[in-house]
Amino acid sequence: MASSDNSETLDARGPTPVEGSGLEVATGERERVAGHTFRAAVSAKNVFLWPALLVVLALSIFPLIVSLYLSVSRLEFQANGIDVRFLGFDNYASLLFGTEQDHFIGVLKPLTPVGWIIVAVVAAITARAFVSYLRGVNVRLLGLLLRAIAGLLLVGLVWLFAQTLFAQGGRPGTLFVTLVYVFVGIAVQYLLGLGLAVLATQRLRGQRFFRVVFLLPMTITPVGVAYMFRMLTDTGKGPFVPLFDLAGLQNFAWVNDPWGARIAVMIGDIWQWTPFMFIVLLAALEGQDQEITEAALVDGANRRQVFRHITLPALLPVTTTVILIRMIEAFKIIDLPNILTNGGPGTATESLTLEAFFDWRTLNLGRSAALAYMLLIVVTLIATAYVNLVRRRVTATA
Amino acid sequence: MRNGTRLGGLTWLAAVVTVATACTGLSSSGSPGSGAISVNILTFTGPQIAEPLQRRAPDFRTANPNISISVTTVPFSDLYQKILTDVSTGTNSYQAFVFDPQWMGDFVGPGYLEDLSTRVKADASLKWDDIGAFFRDFSATYQGKVYTIPLDGDFHMVYYRTDILAKDGLKPPETWDDYLAIAQKEQGQDLNGDGQGDYGSCISKKRNAQAYWFITSIAGGFIQTDGTNQGAFFNTADMKPLVQNEAFAAALDIYKKTGQFGPPNEINLDVGDTRGLFTSGRCALSMDWGDIGTLAIDPTTSKVKDKVGAVILPGSKMVLDRSTGKLVPCDATTCKNAVNGINHAPFASFGGWSGAINGKVSTAVKDAAFKFLSYMSAPEQSNVDVTIGKTGFNPYRTSQFSDTKLWVKAGMSEQAAKDYLGAIQASLQSPNMILDLRIPKTQQYQQVVLDKAVAQFLAGEIDRDTAMKQIYDGWEAITNAEGRDKQLSAYKASLGVQR
Amino acid sequence: MRTLFRRRSALDLGPVSKAISYVLLVAWAFVVLFPLYWLAITSLKQPIDVDSGPVYLPGVDFKPTLDAWKYILVDLQSDTVRPYVNTVVVGLSSALIALILGSSAAYALVRFRYSPRVGVIGLFVGCILFTIVALALSAAVPLAVVSAAAVFLILYQTVGRRFKRVLGNSDVAFWLISQRMLPPVAVVIPIYVLFQRVGLLDTRQALIITYVATNLPIVVWLMRDYFSNVPIELEESAAVDGASPYRIFRSIVLPVAVPGLVATFLFVLVFAWNEYLLALFLSSANAQTMPLTVAAQNATRGPQWWYMSVLILIMILPVIAMAVALERYISRGILVGAVKG
Repeated sequence: MASSDNSETLDARGPTPVEGSGLEVATGERERVAGHTFRAAVSAKNVFLWPALLVVLALSIFPLIVSLYLSVSRLEFQANGIDVRFLGFDNYASLLFGTEQDHFIGVLKPLTPVGWIIVAVVAAITARAFVSYLRGVNVRLLGLLLRAIAGLLLVGLVWLFAQTLFAQGGRPGTLFVTLVYVFVGIAVQYLLGLGLAVLATQRLRGQRFFRVVFLLPMTITPVGVAYMFRMLTDTGKGPFVPLFDLAGLQNFAWVNDPWGARIAVMIGDIWQWTPFMFIVLLAALEGQDQEITEAALVDGANRRQVFRHITLPALLPVTTTVILIRMIEAFKIIDLPNILTNGGPGTATESLTLEAFFDWRTLNLGRSAALAYMLLIVVTLIATAYVNLVRRRVTATA
Repeated sequence: MRNGTRLGGLTWLAAVVTVATACTGLSSSGSPGSGAISVNILTFTGPQIAEPLQRRAPDFRTANPNISISVTTVPFSDLYQKILTDVSTGTNSYQAFVFDPQWMGDFVGPGYLEDLSTRVKADASLKWDDIGAFFRDFSATYQGKVYTIPLDGDFHMVYYRTDILAKDGLKPPETWDDYLAIAQKEQGQDLNGDGQGDYGSCISKKRNAQAYWFITSIAGGFIQTDGTNQGAFFNTADMKPLVQNEAFAAALDIYKKTGQFGPPNEINLDVGDTRGLFTSGRCALSMDWGDIGTLAIDPTTSKVKDKVGAVILPGSKMVLDRSTGKLVPCDATTCKNAVNGINHAPFASFGGWSGAINGKVSTAVKDAAFKFLSYMSAPEQSNVDVTIGKTGFNPYRTSQFSDTKLWVKAGMSEQAAKDYLGAIQASLQSPNMILDLRIPKTQQYQQVVLDKAVAQFLAGEIDRDTAMKQIYDGWEAITNAEGRDKQLSAYKASLGVQR
Repeated sequence: MRTLFRRRSALDLGPVSKAISYVLLVAWAFVVLFPLYWLAITSLKQPIDVDSGPVYLPGVDFKPTLDAWKYILVDLQSDTVRPYVNTVVVGLSSALIALILGSSAAYALVRFRYSPRVGVIGLFVGCILFTIVALALSAAVPLAVVSAAAVFLILYQTVGRRFKRVLGNSDVAFWLISQRMLPPVAVVIPIYVLFQRVGLLDTRQALIITYVATNLPIVVWLMRDYFSNVPIELEESAAVDGASPYRIFRSIVLPVAVPGLVATFLFVLVFAWNEYLLALFLSSANAQTMPLTVAAQNATRGPQWWYMSVLILIMILPVIAMAVALERYISRGILVGAVKG
């Protein structure tokens, strides 16, 4: 039996039968009513789930172990194959504290007042969530401990982040550049995707055309998109050169400015992945019962109210899903910065995966794997926090 | 029922895919002619390099019916990883490679490459002695043994617009100061007649592209004075990097300063971009491999046909005193190889595409692969191929300079051919050519540490001294991790053939 | 003509909002289409036209040429067709298999309750580990230690702190999606070794298996949300009539979830169609796919924009056709109609 202590599941969500919900009762009844015996249900249960689990399992465990092992070792090529020397945590240490710190984390400088405010706000929110957990009914020692660690890591991350970005002379490393890509990218993609999905479900002519067109960017191979944007953003032979000239920017090149280059990367990312948000939300909108909406409109509600109180709540579960999926994918951003700027100017646009790729390409497999694991830790931390803080709340209200 | 038909569409799709898979699965299982020794060669996707291999394979097959050659290609940027993964895991899907001899440092040690010394000696048709001494004795050789057959000659030269320099009464640059002066003068002038200002100098500065070679090309003239085996990267006594001194500082400054007379986005241009700019007439000067010479005569890429001159890499009148790290004036003792008091050190960056044979395949296959590589390199074939732009092959044989006829036939004017070949010849015959780095983990030294520091310096993220310190520390860290003695002996082995 | 007969509904927009909607739709369509237009005209340019500054209209400010198209489609015919066929076969088969396996798993996670015991999972993982260690590497001591650590990590990710308990469906789902968190660079060499041992390198099967495994989690997560919207009353009545769970799934649940299935299919198709790094390593001569061909256009001479444009265009054509064909499945009212029966 699943526990009634939902606060302890990593991910308690709506669609799963949650105890006490109507759905759960219905499921239970169905299994009883279904008549064609308990055995049939049990076998179906296994036949439905296991093939998928086994395929994923077969291809994920081995790489997970091998790269963990590589991350604590050094690789050497010898006459009889590959020699792997155990190193301990050197690879991690050099990233966090050693020679690679300014590359991976960034150049840390004392905080400006803005930085302090940001850190304080995040710390306050985290503390509040923690306190509200303490006041709750089901407080367990292990849960408490893990929450405390997660909270401290989160605040620590923000504190480091602020030291690279909101500090005089600080410079963000690949970790924080990646976080900027992820958060800005997803926010813009979601808002654009939602807006387009709503527009594309209105009763207008030519919708089939728009829907297919809006899908297009996603269908291009990421390598191709990256080259295309390199062409488009070229300040010598790209199509926007006359516009730049008109604006008096003949001698301005976005590539020379760290933020200019990062914004270019984000624009490419947004262009390519807005369709993902768009199509999921479109399918969800199309799945909704139009009659409720129509009835509400007839009853005198305006469109904004309908959107707020009917459409949006119905979209919330799928919203949290697409955001989680996109977040996991966006952390792995590599092709755009690699091809658009090769990580330049300097290291300004380099993402974490790109840093791992550079090491990997020059056969520093140990450090590359260590970077991959750092990424895994950060994503797990953020995804777990997201699932626990946002997704559960959303599915609880829905 | 409506839903039934909707799903029907998907079912049809499934059926079609299954059938397609089955059919194509059957058709792709065809095998090459029976009884033939098949040699699978890996290189990068052309047309450059792969094109001549593929084009000449059928002719070779006619002459050698028992050998079947197939060429597999992968994207250029992933060739190194692909080869190493294949050989180090024992997969050995490829019997021969056409690759960068710089990688020998990683490949020879573990025995991935076949020693070709005896085969080369025994093969008269290869005309080994015709190959430029530098490529024969340094580029193809590692620890005194021959491992590769050169198919291409690679080194940097400086290209200039003959018409522009003549118009302004300027001479081609001999030193980097001359280079900067010309670039400054031409910056902003209209060079291609479209009424818009163009650029004095175009040198690729993109990160993770070719910048780490260009910085060495500039630094070379300051650092290496005593001939190829002196080396330009490390001190051959103790493997200390030659990057934290006045010479390297001067080179960094020059490299950055050329950016002031170049396109505003030069920091994001790779060598493909700068070539495009130069051949479309928008740059007065550029530093590049031999490719511009042949690209400039191709009407689909060029507006500067017969307006391009080439010279040996500019040098310096001040050179590094390795004991003090200071620059000292060039004189008879400090620069033995100086020409007119200027120390030139042409840089054989990359080293030129070369063929090598997998050490882990059967002798019969090795012999067959050698036969093909030797066929490709023999003058009958290569003297034609080097004049064709799209082969990507640049001259590396003495016989390829002696006769300008081939080049004129390929579309160059007599004067341009003389210019181009003269610059190549001057570079090739220089006893002070710089051998590119070829020790274990070369890629980490150059592509990661050196490239990153140079990029950060050019972008203004770090200053000159920090950049030099970063390179020095980074290189020392790799050397210490790999073992100083091992790296030092590998470095000396790569340099130490001619005495 | 249809609009003439459509009844006027409260859902129809007023003229002003209609106009605004059109402006916005057209604006975004322009944002999407302009880069593609640029690709199309670049494919008609000579190198010199690309390098000497921007030109926009073929026939007006530059002379269009089909050289690049001819080079890719005629001169390199076999080198284009082979990866093209591979891409189609690998993309479609892997997307279909992932859709079938993934949607059944998603349905299972929505409708059945799983309560795997932590102990059983631990044992299972231990077994797999043992097999891998024994098979793949002549087990070194540190490896064993690290493997144990990895097991712990897996357990930690999914199990959290519930050692004494059983897991829920949501934990299974989270474990699935967490398998996408490692970046490809970290997994590509191990997967290469895996397929090398089985002798499947450079085959389409290897690519299909890999793409199915990497795309399954996405299918499961997306389809879970769609299935949870399917009204349970339908299934219940079918079950009362004596339909087996498989039949219910096939003939009631799947048809109702068609919009979600189509959207998800398009995603996994696109992911498999466009994947680069794994394809690069798992293939050498026979199984290479199109993304490799596109990336390969950046060689020693710099990016060959004109060839690259041709390749990208011919690569997206089938996907566009597919999208056009499938778009109508994502259309209004299927779900509502079904519920009404």
